[in-house]
Amino acid sequence: MENARRKILGFVAILAAAAVMHTVAFAQKAPAPPTAADWAALAKLPDLTGVWEAALGGGGGGARGAGAAPAAGRGVAPAAARGATPAGPQLTPEYAAKRDALRAQAREDNETANCLPPGMPGIMNQPYPMEFLLTPGKMTIVIEAYTQVRHIYTDGRKLPEDPDEKFFGTSIGHWEGDTLVVETVGFSPLTQIAAGIPHSDSMKILERFRLTDPDTMTIETTITDPKALTAPYTSSRTLKRHRNWTIAEYICEENNHNFVDPSGKAGIKLDKP
Amino acid sequence: MNLISRRTLVLTLLTLSMIAASVGPIAAHHSTVPFDSTKQTTLTGIVKEFDWTNPHTWIWINVPNDKGGMDLWGVEGMSPNYLGRRGWTKNTIKPGEKITIVGRPMKDGSKAAMFMSATLANGKVMTQSGQPTD
Repeated sequence: MENARRKILGFVAILAAAAVMHTVAFAQKAPAPPTAADWAALAKLPDLTGVWEAALGGGGGGARGAGAAPAAGRGVAPAAARGATPAGPQLTPEYAAKRDALRAQAREDNETANCLPPGMPGIMNQPYPMEFLLTPGKMTIVIEAYTQVRHIYTDGRKLPEDPDEKFFGTSIGHWEGDTLVVETVGFSPLTQIAAGIPHSDSMKILERFRLTDPDTMTIETTITDPKALTAPYTSSRTLKRHRNWTIAEYICEENNHNFVDPSGKAGIKLDKP
Repeated sequence: MNLISRRTLVLTLLTLSMIAASVGPIAAHHSTVPFDSTKQTTLTGIVKEFDWTNPHTWIWINVPNDKGGMDLWGVEGMSPNYLGRRGWTKNTIKPGEKITIVGRPMKDGSKAAMFMSATLANGKVMTQSGQPTD
């Protein structure tokens, strides 16, 4: 009996110690809850909040690049198509060979036809709007295309040194004057630098978000990848704010008749109704 | 290649690209390769169903064939998100209504097309182009 009580007391002590240690560990990690001052500070920043769409020929103009050309759904349109600097991605010999090998497959479409979302950077160049939400320590981008979300932490945390490979990577941001500068690392090999151009595990994306007039925003995107690119690849686009719009849902699997098969052949499934 | 045939080629390419451009933006999520962007097909029939769905709208239309029967055609359009910002609703195309659709046919001859325009029973012509409304 005495032995059992001693055992129970010992177990309780271990539990208590574990609870304390857990609390300490948790206290070290958890950011402080936002204060009224944190919310007030947001109001002093340039107002990026709201629903935006690339002003590319009627809001859907982006589809010319994203839909008309095979494999473009994954890529960011080259700056040339935006009337900016004409240079496309400059590839190292190794990645030029990879691009040529992909081209030789002559795929008629990419996996977006099967509803796989493009990931970064292509997801930022879709012919659908995006809603920007700013809260203390974070910017959230709700992307209508494929119903996607990007999480950009502006609370001073550092980028991971050995990030997991994600469709959106891992993003942090900080303000430089009136510009929100976002750094992103760690991308899934299923994403591409631009249409038909693979990236390495060294790709980094730097985005600069800035208002150029009250309802116009430019996003300048610079991709660096020492293994794949011989020079940074920069493109930019202009977005218009639509204050009356709301973000709609876009569940690609809802009623998708398009497909691309493993050989790269695109087709239509006429299996309904 | 002599000068004349080169000019012919350029004009042909230019014409083809203008035809392709006239379709307007079609989709974010797939290529238009399965469709023949050099051809148009006109389908007049009775709407069976209008899928107001992502990633594309689909108009399913029963069209009389030359054997005295009906063929069911599927016509792929832009998404409800895109069209909803350009004056379309889920009721724009009504089951049971007689309409005429112009579209790009499939290269493989199967009974599908990419939407270009539709003339409704009331005579109204619907397209997918134009600026979004605020």
